[in-house]
Amino acid sequence: MTGTMKWSKRLTIFLFLLPSCAGLLVFSIIPIFYSFVISLTDWNGLNAWDAAAGVPAFRGMGNYAEILSGAEFWRVLRNTFYYIVLYIPLILIFSIAAAVLLNNAFRGMGVYRVLFFIPVLTSWVAGSLIWKWLLSAEYGPVNELLSFVGIQGPAWLQDPTWAMPGIVMASIWKDMGFFSLIMLGGLQGINPNYYEAAQIDGASFWRRFTAITLPLLSPVLFFVMIICVINSFQLFPQVMIMTTDAGPFGATQAMVERIYKYAFKYYKMGYASSFSWILFVIIFVFTVVQFRLQKKWVHYDG
Amino acid sequence: MQKPRILKALSLLAAFALTLVLLAACSGGNNDPEGNGAGTNGAQSAGGDGAKGSGGGAKSGGGAGGKTEQVTVKFANFSGSGDPAPLLEQMRETFEAQNPDVKVEIETIGFGDYFTQMQTRVASGTAPDAYELNYENFVSYAKKGVLLDLQPMFEAAGFDKSVLYEQALDAFQADGVQYGMPASFSNVVLIYNKDLFDQAQTSYPTIEWTWKEMNEAAVSIRALGDDIFGISQGVQFFEFFKAAQQNGGSLLNEDQTAFTINTPENVETLQYMVDRIQKSNVMPTEAQMSGIGDWDLFKAGRLGMILTGVWAFPDFVQNVEFPWDIAVEPGNVQKATHFFSNGLVINKDSKVAEAAYRWIAFMSASKEAAQIRVDGNWELPAVTYPDVLEAYLAITPPDNRQAVFDSLEYLVTPPVIEQFAEMNDTLTLHLAAAAQGAKTPQQALDDAQQELTAKIKLE
Amino acid sequence: MTGSRYMWRALSFYVFASILALFALVPFFWMISTSLKSKGALFIIPIQWLPEQVSFEGYTKIFTLFPFARAIFNSAFVSVASTSITLLSALMAAYVFAKLEFKGREVLFALFLATMMVPGQVTTIPVFLVLKNLGLVNSFTGLLLPSIFNPFAIFMLRQFMKTVHSDFMDAAFMDGASHAGVFRRIMLPLSMPIIATLAVITFMGVWNDYFWPLVILSDREKMTLPLALSQLSGQYANEYNTLMAGSLISMAPIILMYIFAQRYFKSGLQLGGIK
Repeated sequence: MTGTMKWSKRLTIFLFLLPSCAGLLVFSIIPIFYSFVISLTDWNGLNAWDAAAGVPAFRGMGNYAEILSGAEFWRVLRNTFYYIVLYIPLILIFSIAAAVLLNNAFRGMGVYRVLFFIPVLTSWVAGSLIWKWLLSAEYGPVNELLSFVGIQGPAWLQDPTWAMPGIVMASIWKDMGFFSLIMLGGLQGINPNYYEAAQIDGASFWRRFTAITLPLLSPVLFFVMIICVINSFQLFPQVMIMTTDAGPFGATQAMVERIYKYAFKYYKMGYASSFSWILFVIIFVFTVVQFRLQKKWVHYDG
Repeated sequence: MQKPRILKALSLLAAFALTLVLLAACSGGNNDPEGNGAGTNGAQSAGGDGAKGSGGGAKSGGGAGGKTEQVTVKFANFSGSGDPAPLLEQMRETFEAQNPDVKVEIETIGFGDYFTQMQTRVASGTAPDAYELNYENFVSYAKKGVLLDLQPMFEAAGFDKSVLYEQALDAFQADGVQYGMPASFSNVVLIYNKDLFDQAQTSYPTIEWTWKEMNEAAVSIRALGDDIFGISQGVQFFEFFKAAQQNGGSLLNEDQTAFTINTPENVETLQYMVDRIQKSNVMPTEAQMSGIGDWDLFKAGRLGMILTGVWAFPDFVQNVEFPWDIAVEPGNVQKATHFFSNGLVINKDSKVAEAAYRWIAFMSASKEAAQIRVDGNWELPAVTYPDVLEAYLAITPPDNRQAVFDSLEYLVTPPVIEQFAEMNDTLTLHLAAAAQGAKTPQQALDDAQQELTAKIKLE
Repeated sequence: MTGSRYMWRALSFYVFASILALFALVPFFWMISTSLKSKGALFIIPIQWLPEQVSFEGYTKIFTLFPFARAIFNSAFVSVASTSITLLSALMAAYVFAKLEFKGREVLFALFLATMMVPGQVTTIPVFLVLKNLGLVNSFTGLLLPSIFNPFAIFMLRQFMKTVHSDFMDAAFMDGASHAGVFRRIMLPLSMPIIATLAVITFMGVWNDYFWPLVILSDREKMTLPLALSQLSGQYANEYNTLMAGSLISMAPIILMYIFAQRYFKSGLQLGGIK
């Protein structure tokens, strides 16, 4: 009996994983390996490879050394951390709040669900145009609002210190609907019996939220955290569109923005590949740490 | 009982999709993976279309049954995006009528991602037979040896070079080899708002003007109101490079072996540009602009003068409600004006190079194509046909269209170096620091000199 | 619960939800208004919330400039096909990662996740070269095939499936069900909310994807919507009214799909009949 179970289990595992693993190999592992080889060369991304003619030239770890010893990399890394520190807590708070709101049964719920999701569907081109205007120093409503409470708003996207917070605001606007939708999926999966029991015990909203919602939502929260960190390190379209040429003094230069420019604008594919491998290692370390820490707060099998 | 239904629907959809995909793969199989045009007969592309039913253009309706010797030229471009699309189509039709043995397949990609895609295609050996490149990228492509030398083509076809502006044709040489032909050209002129000049009781710009007169006019226009500005000129690579020349400076030494970014002439130039923003404020700061472009500021009637390209004409003709005109850009110790051009090139590995050459020569140098451009108000053809040019001059506004050609007398072209785009971005970053007052011009240019010398390889 | 407490909850809900909705909607509203402006009225300061004169210039232009209907059809086909492939493949993989123990599982899963961390920009050219070697460049096959591997989808489904109590499954195994049976009868219905969510997200991603079709397709007849729209952005100036008109038209199907998918958000445990 157990023997056949085992055999059928093995077959299931094999068949169920087959499509994904084939895709993993062909569309991920091979290209990633390829890009590692490229990162060891000075390939310009245009010429055909011709090992006999020495095209591209092999540089060993030369690209890596050049990147890590330059000032640019560290500046870009600092910009990226600045973004993460602002973005992660804000997006978590906003999207949990939105998801909890949406997990109610009031009239018109469906309408709100659609409204919250609309920024996700709005293209960055349209979104950034309007945000440029919202954040404009002279005509922008954000500074208008600030002036009501007696604060002289900064020139946001034109100011090296405030450009990144400006980008963060726009990103929150764009991403809130996306992550709250994922969290809502998690909330909907929570067995309503728990709440009914808590209701009978007369637990307050806050108590229910911290004792039931958060623990049961923790696997989804964990997922959102991981994705947010990865996305933040790969911050790209908003920077490209909102602050042309990476903002005042390069204040909004970000990793992927640099990688894109080196690969497709400066024709330094080898250099760009090395850059992205360094980025990969950074993200990898962060993700591993998060997985280590998850045991402390994520509850599966609720 | 909705569970199996969903799964079934999903599986059905996936199966359906996979079947379609496989079908498409089979019928698309004759798309030669080695790249373009190896088959060289019209059937190749027609076969691809056939898999999906309706053919695209009017010509491909019959499918594979074209004339025996017809070749297909694939052509990619960015400047045909948006409004000019019908004009490009018109050129194709005229060309195909003249060359019944050639079929041109046009692919238009928005400017924003054009070069990303071309790079992927060139790298993988699937580049189109002919394509468009702007000047910055032309240099990189030419230096990397992926373009066809056109000289033998010129000789075989007996091409008369005098029908093109010499400077425009020369711009598409690298290391003395002709790799491209100019599709169109444009330059930068001084565009001004006549109303604001009248209100400030200042006389209109003339060809004799220098920085001094321009500045005086800017100051008196700035005095008209808090949100009215005198002039706008970007503080970026191209404008600085030109202004430096107007002041007798340059970015590189004579034989292009070293940067000369922080010479006294250049520092003085940047000081002049920055003072207009920070000191006299005749030009708006970034904060005062608040993310609006200078074209919009001009169109709103809040800007006296703007130094910008003739590519602004179609927009301004349509959307400017006050009288405006143009003049040759003032210089300081000498005049210098910009010249920009988009070039047409041929893929080195094209199997139909001869037909591709006929197509780009038609687009670049034929009277018919030039006439289509002029009639459609689509950039300037780089040709010297007098009657075409007369037709161009006859269009108003601006009244002083002659200034566009007068400017050609003084044109300067940016240095042809391999890492052009990187040099451009790096210098612009430092210039912006000075423009915002975060660094003095001297500091900014010293830093730029240092970073460029470290980063950019000059041969 | 007393009536007044309910009233308070409802009131605070509407206040908060409306503030957030406003925050979300302002730019969208501006998109609509911009799409109805004539080219000249785009950049008047102060901003024109309502076009002084309504113009359909942007909309008519879209349909005359290129085969827009064709592009909509292509996009619909590609998005439906791609979403189905992704969901099926990811659901199967996620079930294994969540519920079937085997040696090396966590390592394999970590590998899946790790691939998400490599920026797509640098693997574009290698993936393109792989597809070229397979002879799949400029075909829908080449466009769709990579969707068979989607670590984001697998991760998201796995996180959810892990929360499903094993008791449900054990009961089914007692009845002699196979893994395929448990997967179909227990796991799928329980995962409906998250599947619906993922379907919307995946569909949206494919529908809006610009970079990948740009690289892989070159035939005008195969063009998807974002590719068609990108032809509107020029070298010197963008025609925002046309751009916004096009973006709005391309948003409409996803909004409809989202509204449709909503009814599934509520199923799962609540409707599954298993408590």
